[in-house]
Amino acid sequence: MQRKEILGEPVKHIEVDGKLTVDQLIQQFKNSGSFGAGRLSVACDIYERMLRDKDCTIFLALAGAVVPAGMRSLVADMIREKLIDVVVSTGANMVHDTIEAVGGHHYKGHWLANDYVLYRYHVYRIYDVFVPEEDFVKLDINLSEFYDQIADEHSGKTISSQVFARELGERLNDKKSILRAAYESNVPIFLPAVRDSEFGFAYTLHASRRKNKNLLQLDAFKDVPEIIDICRKSERVGMIVIGGGVPRNTIQSAALATKSGMDYAVVITMDRPETGGLSGSTLEETVSWGKVKGSADKVMVFADAMIILPIMVASAKERLGSGFKRTYAYSQRAAL
Amino acid sequence: MKAKTKAERFCGNCDTHSAYDYPKQVFCMKRFREKKDPIVKTLWHCEDWNQSSQECNCIEDAKKKE
Repeated sequence: MQRKEILGEPVKHIEVDGKLTVDQLIQQFKNSGSFGAGRLSVACDIYERMLRDKDCTIFLALAGAVVPAGMRSLVADMIREKLIDVVVSTGANMVHDTIEAVGGHHYKGHWLANDYVLYRYHVYRIYDVFVPEEDFVKLDINLSEFYDQIADEHSGKTISSQVFARELGERLNDKKSILRAAYESNVPIFLPAVRDSEFGFAYTLHASRRKNKNLLQLDAFKDVPEIIDICRKSERVGMIVIGGGVPRNTIQSAALATKSGMDYAVVITMDRPETGGLSGSTLEETVSWGKVKGSADKVMVFADAMIILPIMVASAKERLGSGFKRTYAYSQRAAL
Repeated sequence: MKAKTKAERFCGNCDTHSAYDYPKQVFCMKRFREKKDPIVKTLWHCEDWNQSSQECNCIEDAKKKE
């Protein structure tokens, strides 16, 4: 390699003149190409390519408390507008979606709140978001009833977390709900760690009220062939990861199982790789497992997903224009 | 270990209560499991009352509302 090739492209300084649209700002970030701005502009480019690739199935991994923080409508809209094809989420994010669907709310709080005072007032804190205990109670009452109905409907048959999420979505009368949007749009939502959330606690209520008879039967292993089947039926697969954890690995492992690996990957995280935890692991490390192709279009953005994902979606919508119509890369319901 | 002080008996300081319509009404987990009406007055109590292990403001605030 020649020295002049190494110094091929100078940094163009960011200019913010007059009114800038979101994507115009991203283009300025691209001109700089540096640090977080450069990574975000690459993430926007990759997401645009995923959306324009008619043979790519796009997975969204949701970890971290993004739904209580205010990302609920954005994700529901992404589902309805076909900007993603499959969601893999923590149970907790869908719990918080359900809390709002049954009339509860999340409140603006503060990270410096006196937590013992909050405790005495039955208020829970998620960094600077507050949730009143009564909204969890109302959730539990509703879930207990939903579980009874789902158990009766499936009469003892085991269901996957994906079917469970669909059953919940069918019962939620809220257009802004992620679960409802997914139900109406035939978009599967997988909840691989479903019991690690209020969904698990609600199960104990359902079980005790039914005296451990005729219970909802949920088997997370049933998700495995379902999600692998989606990857197998897709020419190419891409993922947008919020945080990481179990949702990220569930998607990557499905791609590995088909022996193909991910073709596109955008990971938004603030975790670090040195601990060996998945949320901070680099996409290069993921290549070593065969979960992401060596040739994949990929980038990690080290920033708060609450800032990054809305920008990426706004930029993509601006680039694609209102006339852009995307169809799903595979026939979901036929596949499941 | 500090011994519990004897408390007045109310649903609002029973071990099975959660907030419901703060501070007037609480949700009783035990009654819910038993399929009885789980929404009870904060200042009521039943024969199964069991002192809460940690304090909250329910009783104090419910009394102010009385």
